Amino acid sequence: MIEAEAVVAAGTLKTTCSRDDLLRGLGIVSRGVSTRTTVQILAGILLDATGGKLSLAATDMELSLRTTVEAKIESEGSVVVPGRLLLDIARLLPETEVSLEHRLEEAVVEVRCGSASYRLHTYNPEDFPRLPDTQGVELHEVDRGTLLETVARVSRSASRDESRPVLTGVLVHFEPGKLVMAATDSYRLSVKETSLEGSVPELEAIVPARALGELARIAGEGEKIVLGVHENQVVFGTGDAWLTTRRIDGQFPNYKQLVPDAFEHEVPLPREELLDVVRRVSVMAQRNSPLRLRFADGELVVSAQTQDVGEARESLPASFGAEALEIGFNAEFLRDGVDSVGGETVRLKLISPLRPAVLQGEGDDFLYLIMPIRLAG
Amino acid sequence: MDKATILHADVDAFFAAVEQRDDPRLRGRPVLVGAWVVLAASYEAKARGVDTPMGVARALRLCPNAVVVEPRMSAYSEASKAVYEVFDDTAPLVEGLSIDEAFLDVRGVRRLSGTPVEVAAQLRRDVRDRVGLPITVGIARTKFLAKVASGVAKPDGLLAVSPERELAFLHPLPVERLWGVGRVTAAKLHGRGIRTVGEVARLAEPELVSLLGRASGRQLHALAHNRDPRTVRPNRRRGSIGAQRALGRRPKTLADIDAALVGLVDRVARRMRAAGRVGRTVVLRLRFDDFSRVTRSHTLPYPTSSTQAILTAARALLATAAPLIELRGSTLVGVAVGNLGDGRAVQLALPFDPHSSDALDAAVDEVRQRFGAPAITRAVLLDRGPGLAMPVLPDA
Repeated sequence: MIEAEAVVAAGTLKTTCSRDDLLRGLGIVSRGVSTRTTVQILAGILLDATGGKLSLAATDMELSLRTTVEAKIESEGSVVVPGRLLLDIARLLPETEVSLEHRLEEAVVEVRCGSASYRLHTYNPEDFPRLPDTQGVELHEVDRGTLLETVARVSRSASRDESRPVLTGVLVHFEPGKLVMAATDSYRLSVKETSLEGSVPELEAIVPARALGELARIAGEGEKIVLGVHENQVVFGTGDAWLTTRRIDGQFPNYKQLVPDAFEHEVPLPREELLDVVRRVSVMAQRNSPLRLRFADGELVVSAQTQDVGEARESLPASFGAEALEIGFNAEFLRDGVDSVGGETVRLKLISPLRPAVLQGEGDDFLYLIMPIRLAG
Repeated sequence: MDKATILHADVDAFFAAVEQRDDPRLRGRPVLVGAWVVLAASYEAKARGVDTPMGVARALRLCPNAVVVEPRMSAYSEASKAVYEVFDDTAPLVEGLSIDEAFLDVRGVRRLSGTPVEVAAQLRRDVRDRVGLPITVGIARTKFLAKVASGVAKPDGLLAVSPERELAFLHPLPVERLWGVGRVTAAKLHGRGIRTVGEVARLAEPELVSLLGRASGRQLHALAHNRDPRTVRPNRRRGSIGAQRALGRRPKTLADIDAALVGLVDRVARRMRAAGRVGRTVVLRLRFDDFSRVTRSHTLPYPTSSTQAILTAARALLATAAPLIELRGSTLVGVAVGNLGDGRAVQLALPFDPHSSDALDAAVDEVRQRFGAPAITRAVLLDRGPGLAMPVLPDA
């Protein structure tokens, strides 16, 4: 772990701030509040009033979120309050000015706003985990839009199955002139290469997909995002918030060797139209039933059938002149792929019904590989 | 349920009987099947006190002129299939218990085939003629009593217990005949001077519970009064496919357990593929030195029958149970895959580990199909032997 950052202030906290500022800050850090109830302190948000500002922090030991709020500090100090509760209260407060006062002897924080007042029981700030340090980490600047777009297109291929931790992460890899991100749940694989201007850090880490999702949520403004890797932590900084996340240990699959070099067929299709067809037919692909794509005679027929439920089919013209080919896909995976490719045309590259298929847009900077479903019969 | 229509059919000394059938020189002689441990003994050997499982060396001291035969699991599998064909031809309801025994309910076949006793006699002739094996049949109103009856009638016998003489039949029997009474329970009962089923029946249920614990106390009380409401249930499509392996009392390292797990997953995944099934929930079962048990399960996002996918999940479960194993030692490991579905439409996975892909599974299955299970194995299992791999019923 990284050294503790700030020494927790020793006095009793007393501060006043605007309701909207407080709400914005709580909105940022509350996603770091642990939902697991086993360690009570992790359900708390650390309020720390020092040096003329109010800092908020939360961590579930994997992901930490921190931000500061403009505030008038009347007495420096720090305290931990139930995070969810404080957020719920802040959302409902009647007036614009809020005061927070820690009453040490009663072990409560008093929240006052207009004629409303609340007393929240507190946790001991000594029990709050030391947050990973952001000082002393070598930070690099990346264009915010570029980074977030790459995250958005890649991270949905990450696995939600905790039994293979490496696959729950996104491989973030900087190399000269570009940023590469890859994610796979072993059924599909997304890889995006993005050119970067200026100096590019040389670093590589497997970052939990969930943390990147939170980054996209909190990085609302600003041109740049700073990032750095320090031991087992990855640090992201946006204009006014810091996100640190545990990096995932292990070897990311060597995905390059899994992407076929050559394909038998390459079928260009209008992306929006295909997406609509896939969405409509998917309604009848329930309980893991496959979506069937049949290519023949200048036509693609998409169909789905669920036993005891029903079936659907729809066709669209396709430039396909070879011998008929039928391949099955998981409906959600195909939808994700067509969606994330972007652009007007999607190129569907196929080898055979049991080999991986690849979806690409007009350029080659993004690739979505999808494993088929072996069809019955 | 007022007529005795349940048959319990059990091949006598199954493995040994198959050996004696296939090799005339073994007939009439004591036969021990097994390499180091006696898996089965012919009645000639059992008469000399050989029991299963027992070390071969010890069995040979008891019965020096016995012939020791290496097990031929494929022959037993085939014999089992043939016996089950006879069962299926005999009764509409067949509930397989193991490779060589089953319950049959012959209610409703009276007009076609005769009384239960006539049906049972024909069944015995059919198994003898069509498969060449001796089989014993017990007939009663309940499953439990039918099984007791076949146990009493063994070997090569037929015994029907009519409803009016159930308790008269049951109560003089030694307690060991009751389902679930092994050496430990029998010793506890003997310690109280209880030797017959009738003496168990005279005890009140709370007494038995305090003596044997809640589950077995209650069970024994019910059985001693011949209360067994279970009906013969044709084995519906299985809800899970699993295998387990005893590890012995010697302390086991995690690597030992892992190796056993690898072998079990291999077997389970192969059976799933053979049955055309895929499953989502991987269950790890462990028994500890103190005989307590735990199960850990993990549900995968998509159904699979891939050896590698199941092994990855099983190993993750083993890792979470590692502290418990360190603390309490492990004597049994098992793995099962549940949440089974039809394996015809299977989501293929990327071959991250090029040595463990779907294609490899298919190739290994084919080799084993043609040359037998030991023809190909994992390196980690090379010096560990196959364990006592019992043939299993074909999975539906």
